[in-house]
Amino acid sequence: MTPMIKVNNLHKKFGDVEVLKGIDFEVNKGDVIAVIGSSGSGKSTLLRCLIDLETADVGDIVIEGQYLMKNGTYGAPAEVRKIIGKMGMVFQHFNLFPHLNVRDNLELAPKMVKKSKKMQLLKRVEEQLKEVGLADKIDCMPSTLSGGEKQRVAIARALMMDPDILLFDEPTSALDPELTGEVLNVIQKLANNKMTMMVVTHEMAFARKVANKVLFMSDGVILEEGLPEKIFENPQNNRTKEFLCNYMQD
Amino acid sequence: MNVNYFLNVLIPMLKGGIITLTVFTATIGLSIPLGFVVTLMVMGKVKPLKAVAEFYIYVLRGTPLLLQLMFVYYGLPILPVIGQYFVFDRLTAACIAFVLNYAAYFAEIFRGGLLSIDKGQYEATKVLGLNRFQTMIKVVIPQMIRVSLPSVSNETITLVKDTALITVIGVTEILHYAKTAVNRDANNFAFLVAAMLYLLINFVLTVVFKKLEKSYDF
Repeated sequence: MTPMIKVNNLHKKFGDVEVLKGIDFEVNKGDVIAVIGSSGSGKSTLLRCLIDLETADVGDIVIEGQYLMKNGTYGAPAEVRKIIGKMGMVFQHFNLFPHLNVRDNLELAPKMVKKSKKMQLLKRVEEQLKEVGLADKIDCMPSTLSGGEKQRVAIARALMMDPDILLFDEPTSALDPELTGEVLNVIQKLANNKMTMMVVTHEMAFARKVANKVLFMSDGVILEEGLPEKIFENPQNNRTKEFLCNYMQD
Repeated sequence: MNVNYFLNVLIPMLKGGIITLTVFTATIGLSIPLGFVVTLMVMGKVKPLKAVAEFYIYVLRGTPLLLQLMFVYYGLPILPVIGQYFVFDRLTAACIAFVLNYAAYFAEIFRGGLLSIDKGQYEATKVLGLNRFQTMIKVVIPQMIRVSLPSVSNETITLVKDTALITVIGVTEILHYAKTAVNRDANNFAFLVAAMLYLLINFVLTVVFKKLEKSYDF
């Protein structure tokens, strides 16, 4: 079976600073990959390279068998757009459209990109909002929602485009601790439905419970990867041990 | 002071008011789209266009509107060779000068509006598959308008008052008739009426912009 994501020898520099120093991994259908590691280790950059929000310098990125980047070279813009269209992304700061209500936030992309019909679209919006437990917020403006609600709307918005893969860039880092649960529950639900996901997170308990594979990144490389039990209970690398130790103390 | 005198002063001034509103409408209607185009040139990646737009803003903001007005009406026609193609009647010359001048200011206001939009908005539209045009129309411009509205409102009210400048190239607008009446009758009353007319126009504009700001409050 072709992997959903395959990355070979990925390098990325910001100016003189090399942020990714040769990354290799694969994501299979239905995988939930948690990417952990300290700030500045390159987790977010890695995720952003997969969906062309950052331009990588060296290596291959293959999405569902199609090259987004081959030997450091990207395809034509139309090709790139088609490939990243298979993925959805949820951001740390939600990035909802503040001038549109919840319904229009969800409808904008399907209407513009897929030319979906209005009636079907409303039905879909209602279903999707029900999934994230916000059916009653359909007419609300984003500014009236709590952080957790905003993030759940953002997840619903990403799902409207029927992505094969969902990328989460620290989805709970901007939330009050008491609001993280509602967002993590939605992600857990997606995992139960076999959605393929990559989640950059600082929520270790969540990573352990939901992920079937954990990547530990440090200083631009994947230092250790494996089953959550293995990483959390029996880390091999000293850096991993140290990192997890710091987390457990909190 | 009687009603007859009041009407005697007011009626020609209302005729002038129509001219004032003509210049005002033409300027708002044309300088806003032109200003937005200049903003896109300044913010764009095409270096020569960016340089042209920046120079345009520099010159039009950096010289007096009154000078620009006189240059368009008196100066352009006497340019060697090409001057003959730039002979305009007074009203047209006034409109041209105002549109060009105000476009430079609007361009800077819109640039400020664009700069205020979070980078995350562009990232969200990209991962959702919107193209650049769709992003501009559906996401960027509505947010830019909200941020720009108070400044646009300010500029619009300034414009109403600036229209009084065109009296110097002989356009018969409100101030022209006021001045005529004051000189004729040695009576300040006409100035008062003119002030009232400007205040009335700006009152309407203030109400309209308040409503607009409310509808863009999200």
